[in-house]
Amino acid sequence: MDRRLKYSEHSKKLILVVDDESINRQMLGYIVSSEYEVVYAENGVDALEKIHTFHDTLSMILLDLLMPGMDGFELLEILKSDESLRQIPVIVLTSEKAAEVKSLKLGAADFITKPYDMPEVILARIGRIIELAEDRMIIRHTERDELTGLYTKDYFMEYCAELDQYYPDWEMDAVAVDIEHFHLVNELHGRYYGDRVLSLLADTLREVLSSDADGYVCRYEADMFYMYCTHMESYEKMEQRIAEALKDMLHTDRIRVRYGVYPKVDRSVEMAQRFDRAKLACNRIRNNFMQSIAYYDTEIHDASIFEEKLIQDIRGGLERGDLIVYYQPKYNVQGDKPVLASAEALIRWKHPELGMISPGAFIPLFEKNGLIQLLDHYVWEKAAEQIHEWKMKYGRSVQVSVNVSRIDLYEPKLENRLLGILDKYMIEPSDYLLEVTESAYAEDSGQLIDVVSRLRSCGFRVEMDDFGSGYSSLNMLTALPIDALKMDMKFVRHVHEDVKSQRMIELVIEIADYLSVPVVAEGVEEEEQVQILKDAGCQIIQGYYFSRPLPPEEFEKLLQGS
Amino acid sequence: MLTIDALKAFGADTDDGVGRCFGNADFYMNLVKTVPAEKKFDELKSALDAGDLDKAFEHAHALKGVLTNLSLTPISDPMIEITEHLRSSKQMDYAPLVETVMEKREELRKMCE
Repeated sequence: MDRRLKYSEHSKKLILVVDDESINRQMLGYIVSSEYEVVYAENGVDALEKIHTFHDTLSMILLDLLMPGMDGFELLEILKSDESLRQIPVIVLTSEKAAEVKSLKLGAADFITKPYDMPEVILARIGRIIELAEDRMIIRHTERDELTGLYTKDYFMEYCAELDQYYPDWEMDAVAVDIEHFHLVNELHGRYYGDRVLSLLADTLREVLSSDADGYVCRYEADMFYMYCTHMESYEKMEQRIAEALKDMLHTDRIRVRYGVYPKVDRSVEMAQRFDRAKLACNRIRNNFMQSIAYYDTEIHDASIFEEKLIQDIRGGLERGDLIVYYQPKYNVQGDKPVLASAEALIRWKHPELGMISPGAFIPLFEKNGLIQLLDHYVWEKAAEQIHEWKMKYGRSVQVSVNVSRIDLYEPKLENRLLGILDKYMIEPSDYLLEVTESAYAEDSGQLIDVVSRLRSCGFRVEMDDFGSGYSSLNMLTALPIDALKMDMKFVRHVHEDVKSQRMIELVIEIADYLSVPVVAEGVEEEEQVQILKDAGCQIIQGYYFSRPLPPEEFEKLLQGS
Repeated sequence: MLTIDALKAFGADTDDGVGRCFGNADFYMNLVKTVPAEKKFDELKSALDAGDLDKAFEHAHALKGVLTNLSLTPISDPMIEITEHLRSSKQMDYAPLVETVMEKREELRKMCE
């Protein structure tokens, strides 16, 4: 339903007629009252009082200019200087040409000449001005973000496009500004504080635009701001200004703001996409406390296209079998000779166009967007199938460990899924080791300890992966339901050259002893490392020193030899 | 009693005036009836007698607005003339024009009785 029609059906709009001449007042009031409610004032002072009384409902003021006491011009000045009253449209009543120009400059929307036009003409003019004012009001309410007063995203995009049209030669930057972990700011300090941070950031961005560059800024969503401005060589000044403003006002330097800049935008690229690029640059430095400004460049562009391709291709790749599960042997080094103990299942992607893709290129990416779950399910299935195949072929069980990502642990019936796989391939839970990264425990230890306990009660053995990289509390360690600790690779890497790393390894082993679980070391490449680890009491070793991850057929040769 | 015909005979452009009142002749005539009692006529005369042209302009201008809205041409025409002279602060003998205005006002007053 048309909004205006709805209003006029239920209630008449209110118009204030201001004229010191009773006859004029009555005559105009008579015309106007055919369509509107009318209130009257006979001078400027009286009018101002009525305006204050009715300002919420007043749709228009019809204002005579020459009146004793406060005249129409003076009243226009007062209305113009008041933010809330400025919105009420004013039509001036005059017979003077010079007064028309002056009053329009003072903010009058239109004028009605004396002697009055025919009533129909007057009503049409009034109707049109009210409609324009209402439209302007709707725009005002929707074009600005209520909290910060900045443009909302749709209007922002429109104005940016307009700016492009008017200034086709300007070099423009698209900038994305984001507050790191803003939800924590809100959670730790409350919503009011969070709102103050946002307002302050908005004000400072506005100041930057008024002093250092030309353009527009908007609150794009929650704590993400977009700015479209004339090119700036450096954004460090802006960054400093914002940091100082936050420090001055909120006495904190703990709120971190990230900036992604797509400099000198390519105008053939769509407006929204320009900001996607700025945002991409901005997101690249998420959690990177050393860098707060990132520029979109060809490297980021290529990386994003590469990642997009991986995301697009993963499902097809899994269906076609482009992803292959490799097995890296783990050796028990407790005896005189190392003995093949188990293997870790690791995924490799042989992409039909891109060739072999390093897991480092796709695993962190899929961990971020949740696709890792698909990959994990695939590996779990393939590994179980392999264990079964070897069991049939060699009459022995080879223990294989598979990775369980953080997201998997939130699957409500995880144990059922895993048991289903074991059932399908007729293997035992003890053949199947589950590797859960330490940081997953640190994130929500209560819930994850619960999941891991359930898995163990089904007979699965659980290894804590990357131990030492996370921030497990000593308290949590004692409550930890695990069967082995797999120490973080970086301790192993420097163990033969760095006393500190050696000490760390001894510490991990002591913790493992305390928990009565074995320690697995991975990433072992040198004989010296093996010796040190062995001397320190590490039981299981995995790494290139013994073998790289192998395709199943090559791994089989090890089985045949052992 | 005031009638439209009488006003027409007086020289008022009643079609215009009534039209401005949405065709409501009674409403129009009720407004016209208040004109003779308008104090500004006398205030205009006093201001001119005292030589206060600014004050006189204010009154003349206000009266001009009212009279033209009602299309009371016989009074509004001399009033427009007075107003325009006063706008430029012209030193002249305003008495003949004022006298015409007053005569026509009196004529109207009688019509309203």
